[in-house]
Amino acid sequence: DDVFVSSTNAYDEAMNHLGRELENGRLVRLLAKLGTINERPEFDGDPNWSETEHRYTLKLFRDYVFHQVDAQGNPVLDLGHIISCLNKLDAGTEEKIYLTSRDHQSTFLVTYRELKKQIHSAFGDLQKGNTKQ
Amino acid sequence: MDGDWDEVARIPFPPPGLRALPTPVTRLAFDVTQELLWTGNEYGRVTSFYGAKLQQYTSFKAHTSQDGGVLQILFNDKGVIVLGARSVHMRTRRGIPLWSIRHDDMKELRCMSFTSKGTSEILVAGEQEKMLVIDTVKGEVTKQVSTEHKYKIMRRSSRNICAATPSGSVHIIDSINFQVLKIWTAHTAAINDMDAQHDFIVTCGYSLRQQGNYMPDPFVNVFDLKNMTSMSPIPFPAGAAYVRMHPRMSTTSIVMSQIGQMHVVDLMNPNTSNVRQANSLSYFSMIEIAPSGEAVALADGDCSIHLWGSPTKIHFTEFMRPVETADTVAAVPRLDFDSWDTPLSSVGMPYYREVLLSAWPGNMITEIGLPPVKIDPQILATLQERDWGFYGKNTRQVRRNQVEDVRGNESPQSTLKHPKFLSERARELAKSPAGTPAPE
Repeated sequence: DDVFVSSTNAYDEAMNHLGRELENGRLVRLLAKLGTINERPEFDGDPNWSETEHRYTLKLFRDYVFHQVDAQGNPVLDLGHIISCLNKLDAGTEEKIYLTSRDHQSTFLVTYRELKKQIHSAFGDLQKGNTKQ
Repeated sequence: MDGDWDEVARIPFPPPGLRALPTPVTRLAFDVTQELLWTGNEYGRVTSFYGAKLQQYTSFKAHTSQDGGVLQILFNDKGVIVLGARSVHMRTRRGIPLWSIRHDDMKELRCMSFTSKGTSEILVAGEQEKMLVIDTVKGEVTKQVSTEHKYKIMRRSSRNICAATPSGSVHIIDSINFQVLKIWTAHTAAINDMDAQHDFIVTCGYSLRQQGNYMPDPFVNVFDLKNMTSMSPIPFPAGAAYVRMHPRMSTTSIVMSQIGQMHVVDLMNPNTSNVRQANSLSYFSMIEIAPSGEAVALADGDCSIHLWGSPTKIHFTEFMRPVETADTVAAVPRLDFDSWDTPLSSVGMPYYREVLLSAWPGNMITEIGLPPVKIDPQILATLQERDWGFYGKNTRQVRRNQVEDVRGNESPQSTLKHPKFLSERARELAKSPAGTPAPE
């Protein structure tokens, strides 16, 4: 009887741990995608990434997620913000966010769905390896 | 213009950089569906302002600074179309690019107009030999029309496209086949401003005086599109510089001089006019009227935008569609980087039905367990040692961050030749020359 209880307990605990770590792999894969596309020197001359073109918002999204600051300009390190942004990006929600360029000159209002589409196509370009045309 | 019209807002036009000096507005345009005033600057930047207080909404660059200023802005349901001298660009009102066309035959574009196909097609023209027809849904050039005339302003009237030439005449162009139907010489030297609405074209222009300088003509010329004849000009002693037709009162127009004297005149009855004075320390460079007729925007040489209207009931569009704004973010639990106990899954996923972005492609082959890259001791010798590592010039004969074939060095093929499988031979053949990684 005791053996049965403790084995069930062990099973419960294993499930509990599994549930806690379930999301990690997904987040790492998402971060890996973002990491591989952002700031690639091959993209430097690519008009798609210039200020007048559509992939500019991806640069600004990176700043939005990772470079948060408070009213005094001090960095805010909030893992909750980062993960919730990444989760929304992963799912591609219709929520709209403001993205502002570093010089404050450009402001965009973008949905996570639009960003997801952009990243998907940028990553697709990398897979095809045709970024240097 | 109602009796209580007054200046309701005046804002400085944002400069092109944080510490840059302001530059004048190159283009003003009221949105047709949302309460937005759109502006262009001389570096290709488009900025929108919301409502009677002109709060900044979105801002983006439509083309690079080398291509010059924003020349014209048109609207349809999907977004805004921006004309530069060498490109046409379309974005949603939120700033998301839809398409962008740079064409070899776009050299000196000046103006554009919707055609007979509603807002799904535009005609772009300028001081060049070709006009281009662009499908605004697909975002591509569908036709090129040769023309011997140069155009600087275009307006669509109910039936035709009215195009002003640099030399002072107005061409009435068929909006289906783009043939010139009639040429009307409106001013002797040049046309400064033109508007067309319903059945009328109104123009302001210059004539050359004896001293050799250009003087604004003290009248507004009017053309009747229904009968295809010019009408008697409307006198404007202060010198007419800018003119707009009232969008809802089909025979009313607003005329303004360079120093801000505004007259509201009925074309059929020019003797009764309503006069206002806009104040600025410099000259006015532009006037634009909202589609509702309830607001007028002015730009002056001091880089300010003035908004006129009735303080109590000013609005830009007839059916005010709400402007989209950012969603308020639901509170997210704050996680510190060193709170190891809180699992990452505590944030939670939003509801979703599609493939997640994190889905990694399944057909990628990764090789693991390779020995680390050996660093050539000769190169190491050229580097200087610091307590955080080595540094110096990169003299290695590989690309930056190149994936190196470690396995090849490990077991040299020359010493140990074993028979190869067919698939292995094929793979070696497929291997690209040194310097680029194998395709897989």
